[in-house]
Amino acid sequence: MRGQNVELVDVAMRFGAFTAVHPTDLVVEAGEFFSILGPSGCGKTTILRMVSGFLEPSQGEIRIGGTPMRGIPPNRRPTALIFQNLALFPLMPVWENVAFGLEARGVDKPTRRARAEELLRLVALEGQGHKRPSELSGGQRQRVAIARALAVEPAVLLLDEPLSALDLKLRQHMRTELRAIQRRVGITFIYITHDQGEALTMSDRIAVMSQGRVEQVDTPDRLYAAPATAFVATFVGENNLVRGRITRAENGLALADTPLGPLRAANPHGLAAGAEAMLFVRPERLQLGPANGIDNRLAGTIARRALEGPYLHLAVATAAGTELLVHATNRGGLDAWQVGAPVEVGFAAEEAMALPTGPLAADA
Amino acid sequence: MRSLVATYGRGLTALFCGLALIWLLGLIVLPQLFMLERSLWWQEQPAEAFALTKRIDDLYNEVSLLEFDRRAAEGEEVAQLEARIAAKRAEIAELEAVEVAPVRVYGLANYVKMSGLHFWIFVKTIFYAMLVTLLALVVCYPIAFAAAQLASPANAALLLLGLVVPYAINELLRVYAWLMILDYQGVINSFLAWLGLVDFEKRTWVPFLEYPGAVFVAMVYAYVLFMVFPMYNTMETLDRNQLEAARDLGASTWRTHWRVVIPHARPGIAVGCIMTFMLSAGSFAVPQIISRGTGGDWFSQLIYRQFFESFNWNVGAAYAFTLLLACIVFIFLVMRLAGVGIRDIAK
Ligand SMILES: Nc1ncnc2c1ncn2[C@@H]1O[C@H](COP(=O)(O)OP(=O)(O)O)[C@@H](O)[C@H]1O
Ligand SMILES: [Mg+2]
Repeated sequence: MRGQNVELVDVAMRFGAFTAVHPTDLVVEAGEFFSILGPSGCGKTTILRMVSGFLEPSQGEIRIGGTPMRGIPPNRRPTALIFQNLALFPLMPVWENVAFGLEARGVDKPTRRARAEELLRLVALEGQGHKRPSELSGGQRQRVAIARALAVEPAVLLLDEPLSALDLKLRQHMRTELRAIQRRVGITFIYITHDQGEALTMSDRIAVMSQGRVEQVDTPDRLYAAPATAFVATFVGENNLVRGRITRAENGLALADTPLGPLRAANPHGLAAGAEAMLFVRPERLQLGPANGIDNRLAGTIARRALEGPYLHLAVATAAGTELLVHATNRGGLDAWQVGAPVEVGFAAEEAMALPTGPLAADA
Repeated sequence: MRSLVATYGRGLTALFCGLALIWLLGLIVLPQLFMLERSLWWQEQPAEAFALTKRIDDLYNEVSLLEFDRRAAEGEEVAQLEARIAAKRAEIAELEAVEVAPVRVYGLANYVKMSGLHFWIFVKTIFYAMLVTLLALVVCYPIAFAAAQLASPANAALLLLGLVVPYAINELLRVYAWLMILDYQGVINSFLAWLGLVDFEKRTWVPFLEYPGAVFVAMVYAYVLFMVFPMYNTMETLDRNQLEAARDLGASTWRTHWRVVIPHARPGIAVGCIMTFMLSAGSFAVPQIISRGTGGDWFSQLIYRQFFESFNWNVGAAYAFTLLLACIVFIFLVMRLAGVGIRDIAK
């Protein structure tokens, strides 16, 4: 099995007057674990269905391994799809499910059986081939679906929120499992999810989508550290966001007037003085307690706190009425951080970022 | 039962159960038992006794005739006729005194003594009914599938409505419609005449009604709904993703149906086949109207004649029961073939 790259060139999908996917360019590298992340209804499934061939794009071209796919039906594309509800065939035993693609290709029964057993071993289900899917647990069914898709030796595996039906613990386990399987078989995975934690932990690269548009394509690290838009900043990870107006911009830094007073932040988008902006800083970048020589200083009182063993999560109410989220590591001395206690919070200018205003994830 | 009592109280529950029991006994079990009993005996009389009975029947006929005349008669004719009536009545009384009542003989003779011709009609009817079932299955499968899986909900509703509307019309009228279409000077032949292919004057029309196909077409039409709906119901519950998964894995349309759709819809297909078979095997109106005696008889017509033309209820009952048995055998056969149990079908 060899992975192939997937290119979307100016691809758009319209259903009547409604545009589900706006013109999009996207390149997924061969052998990559690529996630498409976005809230429900943003067009993720639509993109996947266009790649798998169940939908023809209204515009643009999809190429897999350099071959244009227009007019090629799903059964003749080098892709395999794993459905959100898995869509296992309930009336066939597990091994026939796994071997279905081979059956469709006219492979004889002994070979099918052997190959199915091999694939079941790959997903740690050997010896379960005779059971019905309904006799397996959720996680096992998940793995049957993966084995069934891998049986046809696709170059690209398309997964539509396959873990969403599982409980949290199993989901976390399956993340590792999926990633390991992807490494082993080496083919391209395009993974769809609305769960940013899932995308961050598994992917080589992630495309974040909102309302039919790709907002940013990047590695998980960069997506988290340097979101390109207010939407990405608010959708991926926790954050503090303050609206303001830029009063000065120089040397890649910006000074902004905000309800919390003047604040300094990095200005990667080169916003000019007078522009509306959103100042964004991650909760773990905020420092608790008095510290000198820090660009931005704010005072407030602790409104809520939650101790998660090694971490302390605080909500700090400022005089202006805005709440700031602070994540601190637990270094002892917790008595000082009780609800109602006055605190000082500070952050360096480079830890914060001025982003152009735009819709937030919470609005979507 | 306990939950019923809990929901409706003791009185209502008893009422429900009582009504259900009456329905079961009164409308299903008792008539069948009655039929069965009838089919198991026949009346026997020695030959001369039979002649005697015949003579008595004739006399009764004559008496009624004379009475009829007397009512119209006037003057001395009346007395004359009354005298003759009295004479006849006396003769009847005399004969009835020596008449031996026919005896009931129990046995399986009604079942066994079916003539070769009747047995042939029986076999033919079963075979035709199977053929109608098969035809209906072939016609309905794509319709049910299209309505359940392919069409948008609005279109599916329209399609089903289109199927139901003809059923608002009386079955007889539906069959008459086909009669008009297939008749010697019916719609099709008129069209052919208009094309100049046949000539009514020279009676060169195509005798559609004389082909067994005519009865098939009308029957398939009369009973499609009973095939479509059970199939539609099961197909509708098939997850569309299953179809896409099969296709995505490379399956042809044919294989998708064979491996995914048909196994899923099996209970519905079985129910549809059973209903269509039962209806067509027992159908009286359709062959009666369509063939009007020009085509071969169906067994149902034979049963009718036994009951109401030969007045031989015993043989009629035996025939009817034979048909019932054949239908039951068919049901089990289909269930075995489809690999479904009573439980699946009840769903
Ligand atoms: N066949 C269709 N006809 C009309 N609208 C559709 C169709 N499929 C999807 N949509 C719309 O396109 C948008 C994106 O859908 P989808 O790609 O399923 O979102 P996601 O998978 O991100 O939740 C939704 O608003 C949905 O209602
Ligand atoms: Mg979706």
